[in-house]
Amino acid sequence: MALTKQEKLDKKAERAYYRKHKPHVKLTGADIVFYVFDYLVFGLFAIICFFPFYYLFINTVSDSEMVARGAVNFYPIGFTLKHYKDMLALGDLGRAFIVTISRTVIGTALMVMASAFCGYLMTKNEMWNKKFWYRFLVITMYFNAGLIPGYTNMLMLGLTDNYLGYIIPAIVQPFNIILVKTYIESIPAELEESAFIDGASYMMIFRKLILPLSKPILATIAIFGAVGHWNSFMDSVINMQNSPKLQTLQHKLYIWLNQSSNIGAVIDTGRSASEIEKIVNQLNSGTVIKYTIAMVTVLPILLVYPWMQKYFEKGIMLGAVKG
Amino acid sequence: MAKNIEVSNGPTDKIYYVTRISLLFAFVLVFFSEINPARIMTQMNKNMSLLTTALSYDRIVVNIKYEINHNYIFKSDIYSLMAASAIMVAGILILAVAACISLGNLRMKRISNYVTLGGSAAVIFGVYRMIVTHRLYRAIDAEISEIVGFKMATEKLPTALFLMLGFAIIEFLCAVILMIAQPRPARDEKCEMSTRYKLFIMALPFLGLTFIFSYLPLYGWRYAFFDYKAGPGTLSMNDFVGFKWFKLLVDNAMMRSDIIRVMKNTLIMSGLGLATSWVAMAFAIFLSEIKNGVFRRIVQVLTTIPNFISWVLVYAIAFAIFSNEGFVNNMLTRITGVVHDHIYLTDESMLYVKMLLWGMWKGVGWSAIIYIAGISGIDQQLYEAATVDGAGRFQKMWHVTLPGLIPTYSVMLLMAVAGILSNGMDQYLVFSNAKTKSALEVLDLYVYTLGIGSGKIPLSTVIGMLKTLVSVTLLFMANGISKLVRGESII
Repeated sequence: MALTKQEKLDKKAERAYYRKHKPHVKLTGADIVFYVFDYLVFGLFAIICFFPFYYLFINTVSDSEMVARGAVNFYPIGFTLKHYKDMLALGDLGRAFIVTISRTVIGTALMVMASAFCGYLMTKNEMWNKKFWYRFLVITMYFNAGLIPGYTNMLMLGLTDNYLGYIIPAIVQPFNIILVKTYIESIPAELEESAFIDGASYMMIFRKLILPLSKPILATIAIFGAVGHWNSFMDSVINMQNSPKLQTLQHKLYIWLNQSSNIGAVIDTGRSASEIEKIVNQLNSGTVIKYTIAMVTVLPILLVYPWMQKYFEKGIMLGAVKG
Repeated sequence: MAKNIEVSNGPTDKIYYVTRISLLFAFVLVFFSEINPARIMTQMNKNMSLLTTALSYDRIVVNIKYEINHNYIFKSDIYSLMAASAIMVAGILILAVAACISLGNLRMKRISNYVTLGGSAAVIFGVYRMIVTHRLYRAIDAEISEIVGFKMATEKLPTALFLMLGFAIIEFLCAVILMIAQPRPARDEKCEMSTRYKLFIMALPFLGLTFIFSYLPLYGWRYAFFDYKAGPGTLSMNDFVGFKWFKLLVDNAMMRSDIIRVMKNTLIMSGLGLATSWVAMAFAIFLSEIKNGVFRRIVQVLTTIPNFISWVLVYAIAFAIFSNEGFVNNMLTRITGVVHDHIYLTDESMLYVKMLLWGMWKGVGWSAIIYIAGISGIDQQLYEAATVDGAGRFQKMWHVTLPGLIPTYSVMLLMAVAGILSNGMDQYLVFSNAKTKSALEVLDLYVYTLGIGSGKIPLSTVIGMLKTLVSVTLLFMANGISKLVRGESII
C-alpha cells in the first residue's frame, strides 16, 4: 500500500517525536559487555563477508608490480584502469560477456512470462484434469534423472553446443509457477469475475488484470532467475564442452583460474631457475587479469543486490510459506 | 464461468481415439533414439533420435567427417536425410495441432480434418523422401564403399519408418472417414471450444517442456542396464547386461573403495552441514538483539551478498585471499618479516572444515533471513510477560525466542536430512585440484567425473539413479515424519 503524503508526514513527525523522547533505559554492566560483544562479532562477520570483494577491487585498479609484490592490501597503490583495458583485449572474453548477458536477459524474460501465464492457468479449476497436470508440473521439483541421463537427453534434443541449450530448459520453473499461482490466488476473485461478466477472454484478463497486479511477485522471480542465469556454470561446463564460443563468463573464469593452478603445479616439480622466472612473470600479470575477470563477473551482483534486497527477502519468505 | 458446448456427434467421435493414440505413437518415434525412423545410415550415432536427425547436422556427420572433408560423401546427401526427417517432424507437429483443434465444436472438428490430412500427407512425403535418400546412399555405396571401407546405407529400411508410415496412413484414413461420415455443422455455428480444453491447450506448451526436460531424461536410465559402447549403431538387446553394473559396484574392489571414499566425503560434508545448521538461527537471534536499525541493515546486506555469487567466484575470492601471493600470505610476511608463500588452496589438511567454513561464509547470512522474519512474528506480549516474571536477556532468548523458531528449524532440518546425498558439485569441483581431489569428491562430483570425465556412462548412470531413488525415499520419509509430528507436510 502506498502511503499518502499526509500519512508520510505523520510518520515522520512520529519518528522525530520518539527520537526526542527516547525512553532512557539504564544499561547494566552485563548489558554493555553483551552489546560490545554482539556488535563486534557482527561487525567482524560483515567485514569478513565484504572485505574479499574490496580486496579484489583494489587489486584490479593497482599497479601490477605492486600487486605482485603483495603491497596492495588495504588501499589501491598506483591507481590505474589498465587491467580492465587489457582484459577487453582478450577476445573470447567479450564473447563470453555477450553470451552471459544475453542468456540472462532472454532466459529471465521468457521464464517470467512462462511462470506468470502458467501460474495463472494453474489457478483455473475448470481446466481439463487440472489437478493431475498441476501435480505433473510440481512433482518434477523432487526428482532428478541425474546428470548423465540429463546430458544424453540434451544430446538427443540437439541442445548441446547450442545457445538454445541455455534458454529452453530454463523456461519452465515449477517452483516459480507455484509462487505465482499462490500469489494470484490471493487476488480477490471478484475482480476476475466482473471482468468475465464484461466479456473479457482469459488472455485479455491475464494481460490487463493479472499481469499488472502480480508485478511484485514477478519482480521477485525475475531477480532470482537473473541471478541464477548469471551464476549458472555447470550447464556451460557440461553441455558446451566442445564450443568455446558459447561458454559463459563463469565458465571462462573457471578455466582461467585453473590455468594458474597448473602453472603452480609446474613450479612445484622443479625446473631451471630461468624457466621458473619466466613462468612467475607470466603468473604475475596473469593474476591481476584473473582478479579483473572475477571483479567484472561479480560487479553486477554487487551493484544490484543492495537495492533489490527486499525482493530477495520476499522471495525466500514466499518460498518458505509454500516450500 | 465455464461454458459447456460439448455435444456428442454420434459414433464418429470414437474415431478420434484412434487418431490420438496413433499420434502418441508417432511422437514416441520422434523422441526415442532406438526407434529412429531416420536410421538409414550405418555411421549414425546411436543417440540420434528423429528430432536430432532433423536438427543437428554436426551430430549426423560426427563419424564421417573425414569422408565429407574428402568429398567421398557430399554434404547435400546429408542434407537430404535431414530434410526428410524435418518434413516428418513437421508433419507430426501439424498432426498435433490438428488434434488440439479437434477438441473444439463440430466446425472446429471439420477444420481439424483438413489439417490432419495435410499433416499426414507431410509425414507420408517425409517417409517417401527417406526411402529416396536410402536409395541414394545405396548408389553412393556402389561407388565408394571399397574406398572408405564401410557401407553408408543400412541393409534394410528401419522398421520404425514403416511404423511411421502406418501411423500416418491411419491418420489419413481416419480424416477421410470423418470428412465423409461426420454430420455437417449448422450454418451459423462459430468456431468454439469448451473452456476446459481451451485452458488445457494454453497450458500444453509448458506441460510439453516439462515432459521433455524432466520426464524424458528418465528414459536415459536404460543405460544402467546396457553395455554402452561409443560409436555407431543402437543399443540392441545384445548389449543388455542386466544388473552387471550394479554388481560391479559391489564386487570390484577398486570400485568399492572408491564408492566408500566418496560416500564418506558426502556424508561427512552433509553431516557437518547438519551439525552447524543451528548457526543461522543463532545468527538471527543475536542480530535481533541489536537495536540500531542502520547497523542491523548494513550487517544484513553485507552478510547476504556471498549467497548470490557463484562458487566459481567464491573460488576466485579464495584464490585472491589464500593463494601464495594472496592477502593472508602478504599479512603474515609483513607481520613476521619472514617470507610466507604457503599455498593454502592445495593444502589437504582440515579440508572438510575449510569447505564447511566456505559454505557458511556463503550461506549463513542468507539462511538467517527466514529466522529473522520468524522472530518478528513472535508475539511481543510474550517478552513483556517474561520481563515481568524477571527473565533476563538470555533467559528470554532461550525460553521465548528459541521455542518460537523451533518449528521453522525442524522443517529446515528435515529438508536437509532429505538432501543428505546432494551436496551439489559446484563447490567441490571448483575447489578440487590434484592434491585435494580425493577428499573433496562427493557423490555428485563423482557421477560427473565418472560419466563426463572418463566416459563410463553406464556406471555413472547407475550411481546417479541409485542416488535419486534414495533421495526421493528420504524426502518422503521426512515428509512422513513431519506429517506425523507436526500434522503438516513439507512438500
